[in-house]
Amino acid sequence: MRAGLVVAAVAVLLALPHVLGPYYMTLVLPAIAYGIALLGYNLLFGYGGLLSFGHALFVAIGAYCAAVLSTRLGIRSFEAMLLAAGAAAVAVSIPVGLLSVRYVKIFFGILTLAFGMLFHSFLFKFYNITGGDTGIHVSRPSLFGRDFADLGQIAFLVGPFYYYCVGLLVALGFAMWRIVHSPFGLHLVATRENRRKSEYLGVRVRLFRLIAFAISALYCSVGGVILAVNTGQADPELAYWTHSGDLVFMTVLGGFASFFGPIIGAFTFVLLKAQLTGMTDYWRFWLGVILLAIVILFPRGIAGLGRDLWARVRKA
Amino acid sequence: MSALLETVDVRMAYGPFLALDGITLAISEGELVSIVGPNGAGKTTLVNVLTGLLAPTSGVVRFKGSDIAGVGPVTLAQRGMARAFQLVHVFPCMTVAETIAVAVVSQSGKSMRFFAPVREDAAVNRRVREVAEIFGLERKLATEARLLSQGEKKLLDIASAFALAPEVILLDEPTSGVSSADKHALMRNVVDAARKAGVKAIILVEHDMDLVAEYSTRIVAIQAGRVLADRPPAEFFADPGIIAAIVGKRVGRLAKEH
Amino acid sequence: MIAFLDVVIGGVFHAAVLFLVAAGLQLVFGVQKIVNLACGSFYALGAYFGVSAVTWALGAGLPPALFLPVLLAAGLAIGLIGPFIEALLLTVYHRDEAFQLLLTFALVLMFEDVLRYFWGADPQQLGNLVMTYGTLSAGPLKVPTYNVLVIAASIAIAAGLGAFLRRTRFGRILRATAENREMSLALGVNVRWIYASVFTLGTVLGTVGGALVVPTAAASLDMPVSLVVEAFAVVVIGGLGSMRGALLGALIVGLMRAAAISWYSELEMLSIYLVVIVVLVLRPAGLFGKPVE
Repeated sequence: MRAGLVVAAVAVLLALPHVLGPYYMTLVLPAIAYGIALLGYNLLFGYGGLLSFGHALFVAIGAYCAAVLSTRLGIRSFEAMLLAAGAAAVAVSIPVGLLSVRYVKIFFGILTLAFGMLFHSFLFKFYNITGGDTGIHVSRPSLFGRDFADLGQIAFLVGPFYYYCVGLLVALGFAMWRIVHSPFGLHLVATRENRRKSEYLGVRVRLFRLIAFAISALYCSVGGVILAVNTGQADPELAYWTHSGDLVFMTVLGGFASFFGPIIGAFTFVLLKAQLTGMTDYWRFWLGVILLAIVILFPRGIAGLGRDLWARVRKA
Repeated sequence: MSALLETVDVRMAYGPFLALDGITLAISEGELVSIVGPNGAGKTTLVNVLTGLLAPTSGVVRFKGSDIAGVGPVTLAQRGMARAFQLVHVFPCMTVAETIAVAVVSQSGKSMRFFAPVREDAAVNRRVREVAEIFGLERKLATEARLLSQGEKKLLDIASAFALAPEVILLDEPTSGVSSADKHALMRNVVDAARKAGVKAIILVEHDMDLVAEYSTRIVAIQAGRVLADRPPAEFFADPGIIAAIVGKRVGRLAKEH
Repeated sequence: MIAFLDVVIGGVFHAAVLFLVAAGLQLVFGVQKIVNLACGSFYALGAYFGVSAVTWALGAGLPPALFLPVLLAAGLAIGLIGPFIEALLLTVYHRDEAFQLLLTFALVLMFEDVLRYFWGADPQQLGNLVMTYGTLSAGPLKVPTYNVLVIAASIAIAAGLGAFLRRTRFGRILRATAENREMSLALGVNVRWIYASVFTLGTVLGTVGGALVVPTAAASLDMPVSLVVEAFAVVVIGGLGSMRGALLGALIVGLMRAAAISWYSELEMLSIYLVVIVVLVLRPAGLFGKPVE
């Protein structure tokens, strides 16, 4: 049943360029980027129980890797960008993770918040390297070595690049599904459920949390690369705490207790934000209100609502 | 027979307060040693030292010949000792099968596998089922731990400790919270399971002297941080001095049985 | 030497203000077991409101020398939103800590835009008003009297809080409820009211702290986040639940921050976060409480 839904969803995604106009397509790409990022983020939060308020750090790392590679080093291969971003994110995640996973929930959140903002300040201040508040431009990458020079920017983005990204989402989603159901995933959930008992059953809690942290960083950086290619720019606001807040929001909106919840949250958020920014300058206020409503009224998010609805339909 | 688990003159001081004052004991293969004593006598501290949670202020604690002072629960589990607690610890949102699987997976060294679904691992699933059957939980394999009754949670706690295939298992008041009718059944199950599973020694912390009398090969009585007595049950219950100190008013009934 | 002493005074000043916020955090956590991510937002709210209140008062003819009481009053007044926020928190008291974090985080998001709506994106400040009280000199060392006043005020509040908790009936009820809520309920304590009062007290400490700091620093949209991070560094050093720890933690964080800013003044924001991370990472074990697992 679930497999069927997934296949249908992928089919819909693949068909979208033929159905939606370019305006909506420019929303779907960030949604896919966030979907990938959140697959990783939720490994840490939903499955591992660690709520990070600083993961935009890794999204930004991905974006800046893409930018530096394409603009400063002249490397246009998308695959190279992905590899570089992943490597950089994992490399940074290890010391940050080592320092952070020692801490209990709220302090973990604060420490990750601090690291995220530290990176943001760094991006801002060292403008000689990082381009300051304007950031660094990202040139259009080549996919599997092909340039697509005949296509305009939009045509490239909603064409070959889009399909590539859908492929990435499917591949990375499949990998995460396996990870979550693996022995590692089982142990990670145990650490969330009862840290002490899991130790008595031989689970190396800190190591597994660190690994989850690194994997989440990897996925977030891939999301960052896609975002940067889409906008053509890597800028420091990607690392600002409100962007980390967006990640948290999307995950909770979609439902962090479900595998697919965060992806649903990503798509919903992108649509929601597009609507809200059109209506008011103070859209973050409304996001806060919605988050409040979710926490108070339906904490299992959209996925949770969907499941309840489905259960009720089955009973009737 | 060399000792599997032993302490040599262990002292545990909390500031001026001496919780353990020179405890020497040895537990060998084939034994079921019960640790008894009034609350506050130092049983919990002793148990924490024996299971590597606390490093003693002085003295040695060894498991299979190596020092385990303060090694911590994870290392201990890897070395072959398991512990089940008095206060029930479960993984609330994990099913019985998953809970037992956590132990099975860690024991079989598979925990660093990232891409192979646990569901499809036949060896793991077989072992999970085996362990669940020993404790009568096979029909609840798909139930989440938080939905189990208190007694079933207790069983699950013990079962998951067993699933580690330990050489020594320490049971901390395993029958507390279990109804009197079920106590003996549980103990019998546990002892049989231990034998079948190749557990070499059991350490039992218990208040129920009937159980202690029936199942122990040796009883160690702790009082005020010291070993008051360390004898097989027959001798233990035959000594009125010990009885008065530890057992109190049950002298009559037990005196008749032994 | 002068520069060093300047840094020390600056650090102690910031510590004085940090302590107020941290004390508020501690109180709320001690009694209600809630960790409030929005404490920095309250601080910023106090700062912005303080600026507006003083600017308005001065415009209405208030003699500049009276700006301090106006600031205090402004901080106290705006802190009274406390009960309303606390009512929201009711919904997450008995749930997983993650929901507390999420709810207070939602508040931070909302406050960010509220501040922007009422006061705009540019930092707001009170110009040179701080110099109205002149400077104190001890030899070659010059300190604005205002800073000394604030430090004194903070010490007074700390002492007052301590006495309040230990000697008044209300304080005793507070501590009892913190220890054992069920027991307090059974003894007829109106726990709802206690919770609302404590939370409001915590909020007021935060808003007053922000109001007091504003003559020497601008009220800006960076405040909520940078303050939350600093306040938690204080709590980590001092332990969650210890007032004495909060004092010590505030001193350490305040001094380190002042030192970092004087060393790398262009990197102010960066150095603040760096300081917090260093503190969180090097936290000496067993200082007062246990934020580490």
